[in-house]
Amino acid sequence: MNYDTIVIGAGIAGLMAALGRAERGERVLVLAKGHGTTHWASGCIDLLDAGDDPLGAVERLAAERPDHPYALAGAAALERGLERLRAACEAAGYPLVGSPRRTLLLPTAMGALRPTVLVPATMAAGESRQLADGRPTLIAGLRELRDFYPPMIAANLRAQGFAVDGVYLRLPPTDRSKEFGPMIYARLFEREEFRAEIGRQLAEHVRRGGYARVGLPAVLGLRRASEVVRDLQDRAGALIFEIPTLPTSVPGARLFHALEEALRAAGGRLQIGSFVQRGEASDQETGEGAVLVAVYSEAAAREQRHGARRWVLATGGVAGGGLRAEHTGELRETALGLPVRAPASRAEWLAPRFLAEGGHPVFSAGIAVDAALRPLDAAGRVVYSNVAVVGGALAGFDPIREGCLEGVAVATGYAAGQL
Amino acid sequence: MQMLETEVLVVGGGATGTGCALDLAMRGIRTILVEKGDLTHGTTGRYHGLLHSGGRYVAKDQQSATECARENAVLRRIIPHCIEDTSGFFVITPWDDPNYGDRFLAGCHQTGVPVSEIPVAEMLRREPVLNPRISRAFEVPDASADSFLATHTVALAARNYGADILTYHSLVEIIRDGDRVVGAVVEDLRSGERKRISCAVLLNAAGAWAGKIAGLAGVTVTVVPGKGTMVAMNHRMVNTVVNRCKLPSDGDIIVPIHTVAVIGTTDVHVPDPDVYGIEPDEVSFMLEEGEKLVPGFKQYRALRAWAGVRPLYKDQDVASDRDIPRTYKLLDHEARDGVAGIFSIVGGKWTTFRLMAEEAVNEIAHRLGNTKPCRTADEVLPPPNFEHRSYPAPGGAAGHRTDHYWLGKHLAAVEAEHAYGDLICECELVTRERMLAAINSGASNLDDVRRDVRMGMGPCQGGWCIYRTTALLYEQRAEPDGVSRQQALADGAGGNADRPNAHFSIQNANAALLHFLQERWKGMSPVLWGDQMRQARLDELIYVGVMGVQRLRPLAEQGGGLVTDRPEVATEYVKA
Repeated sequence: MNYDTIVIGAGIAGLMAALGRAERGERVLVLAKGHGTTHWASGCIDLLDAGDDPLGAVERLAAERPDHPYALAGAAALERGLERLRAACEAAGYPLVGSPRRTLLLPTAMGALRPTVLVPATMAAGESRQLADGRPTLIAGLRELRDFYPPMIAANLRAQGFAVDGVYLRLPPTDRSKEFGPMIYARLFEREEFRAEIGRQLAEHVRRGGYARVGLPAVLGLRRASEVVRDLQDRAGALIFEIPTLPTSVPGARLFHALEEALRAAGGRLQIGSFVQRGEASDQETGEGAVLVAVYSEAAAREQRHGARRWVLATGGVAGGGLRAEHTGELRETALGLPVRAPASRAEWLAPRFLAEGGHPVFSAGIAVDAALRPLDAAGRVVYSNVAVVGGALAGFDPIREGCLEGVAVATGYAAGQL
Repeated sequence: MQMLETEVLVVGGGATGTGCALDLAMRGIRTILVEKGDLTHGTTGRYHGLLHSGGRYVAKDQQSATECARENAVLRRIIPHCIEDTSGFFVITPWDDPNYGDRFLAGCHQTGVPVSEIPVAEMLRREPVLNPRISRAFEVPDASADSFLATHTVALAARNYGADILTYHSLVEIIRDGDRVVGAVVEDLRSGERKRISCAVLLNAAGAWAGKIAGLAGVTVTVVPGKGTMVAMNHRMVNTVVNRCKLPSDGDIIVPIHTVAVIGTTDVHVPDPDVYGIEPDEVSFMLEEGEKLVPGFKQYRALRAWAGVRPLYKDQDVASDRDIPRTYKLLDHEARDGVAGIFSIVGGKWTTFRLMAEEAVNEIAHRLGNTKPCRTADEVLPPPNFEHRSYPAPGGAAGHRTDHYWLGKHLAAVEAEHAYGDLICECELVTRERMLAAINSGASNLDDVRRDVRMGMGPCQGGWCIYRTTALLYEQRAEPDGVSRQQALADGAGGNADRPNAHFSIQNANAALLHFLQERWKGMSPVLWGDQMRQARLDELIYVGVMGVQRLRPLAEQGGGLVTDRPEVATEYVKA
């Protein structure tokens, strides 16, 4: 079967692009090696770590840094993309709250406050303005979940002036004796008897401590999170909010599921487990770069050819696996072998300090693109006329340090969906 | 200023210093040991972990070879839980002089290093990834040794015999009364408090730092800090120590130790044992040399690189630092320099630490009128409590002793104790119980915990366990029972629970986390490419993205008994 568009990569950027094209009536396939960095991140939508008006900051950034992905996609694509994402989450019963004109500060599992913009409703009651309302907050967890520590979180929040206590709950009886990762908990919380026991303990704490709200690890259900949180609120007699844990990120998985459902509803297909390792160009020269006619993926030790008219590359940066740093000092784009804009040598890759202010130059490496997001070579010529590059694979920004990982994915993914 | 008094003050908490403290204490001599960092903070904690058979020295340094061969057998007896009986090969690759093989064999026979030539086919059967173009192979009783665990084991025994071991105590002054050393002033880095220690004898066992210590007493000891860089690979591609059969050189040995294989080393003279970096070409060179032993070596994932400084004692002019004999020397500064009450034990190597201690203590005991004999070669030492109980290898491979460490030990313990759901560090299989034991055995920062239980040394280089261990450290120190007042109420303990410890704050825990993140970065950054680069970026996503730890910098400060920002304990400096 020949597709109109094949998207390589199933993170937020790839799924947004695929959704856009599918909604324009195209036959769309998403090929991905695995899940994107979505499953490792907070599950919130960060736009930019820059002051109170994130969208305004994006607009200023786009004016100042014309090579930044935000400048190429445009603030309008960001706004419309956020609306589309919101609608997809709403349809999945997992609403996002917030506004691109306002920065929210949410507690992390260290007890720091991190800026973000759109957050799942399940996290909203933990926003710093609410924590500061003078009424005490309880952070609660379970010792068996090794990825969340209420005493430390509470202590750091107290050190920032909030009235917060931390407590461990007792694990209700389960049939599990071994692994207790976040995904396991998400399933446990979907069981009513598990919630009943947790709810009973929470109600007791709330009664004794007069807590207005309770922060729990972000493992409160996978597909039915809103329902789980509502139920726990009723049982506890206080607002419940989630705090992202160490990966695996359950809220990230929920975002993935919401976009996946939207894509399937629009007629798109998704094939995880297909590692695209090379492309095939047609012989014809367009004057505007070559034409990509097929890619080859490896799955189950078998190579498979996929053909399409147009393509979106959404394989991510170094963390996502779209870029690979070689011992020789080169950075390689893993799916199509596109030219990578990167520091000249290994010596320039890294800063001496892990938390260096500007981050590490190697992580701003990526694919340089034109205004239509088409990949460019070192001389600025279009490499493939029918390929758009989106998300973390793009050059000229550091999504983690700039705090724009999801925002750039949404903006460029949405833009590629409309081109 | 607090005043302490002892017979012998040992300076240096590496293998040699703790070995001396044990030997002194066993003979009933009152002993205080001071170390500016954690035990093994210096070279002992920064080597590849080879228990020498002596084979590396048979051609150029026969005395060292003989000493190694003898001590190899002793250490296997007294600290078996620290030693994995890997055996060792010396192999002649196409890049090596084929005539060296006979010279090597003859040297082994002259020095008492047990050796047997094995057919190359046999070598390849046992280690299939070795280069099939290797022309000859010799087997010797090399092994890998956990120098962190061994030093803790020796220190524990020394304490049980009455020695005081003061870590994070930096020597700031040596006090002389005329031509005699009578004591020293040390600073407790955790509190900034200074203490004066009077002693009859000061024993300088500071290894690569021995020159600096001797200088404080006004005597000159020339130690050439020979920097050796090592790279840990995330794969035990060999389970036998593999040496190139040639005169010792750079990148010519692979030591399988715990979950990794370490390739070493370089030898670069550095002017100061506290200031050195790891150069990219050193790493590249060693990976290239690794290719000669194991084709495809470069394709394995490099986890981290580090360097240690050899404590080479320069007695006379020698052509190159590698030509300095690797044997040790006891310096009596009264006879040598006219300053009484101070000895230096210099040179040597990990494998001979016990012998060095024996010789130094024989002399000091004699001076003090103590006639008890050395017993350190005879007494088997029990492991510290953060170590797993022993789970012998199933069946025990033929000829292998079951009280030695073996690779499956921790997994066997985790399975026997059904502790899989309680792993705080999954890469190195560290359970909550062991992590808490390491934290509560006096850890002054997370790097101490790493040295005790290998937390953060696996493929994720701390991605998950740094966060978890910081939290456990906070819970243990701020809330001594690991239980907050709130928790005690919840558990029905009413108001009787201990009040949170006012001396340990969340700011101290934050400082520990930030300090250790940087420690890991120092280890990782010289070898970041491929999968490990991806791992580093994931760790950045976790700590900078999801956790927002950089926002806690204003809420981080050294204190609460932790040492996190003192320059005395930062040994690896990334070149500016």
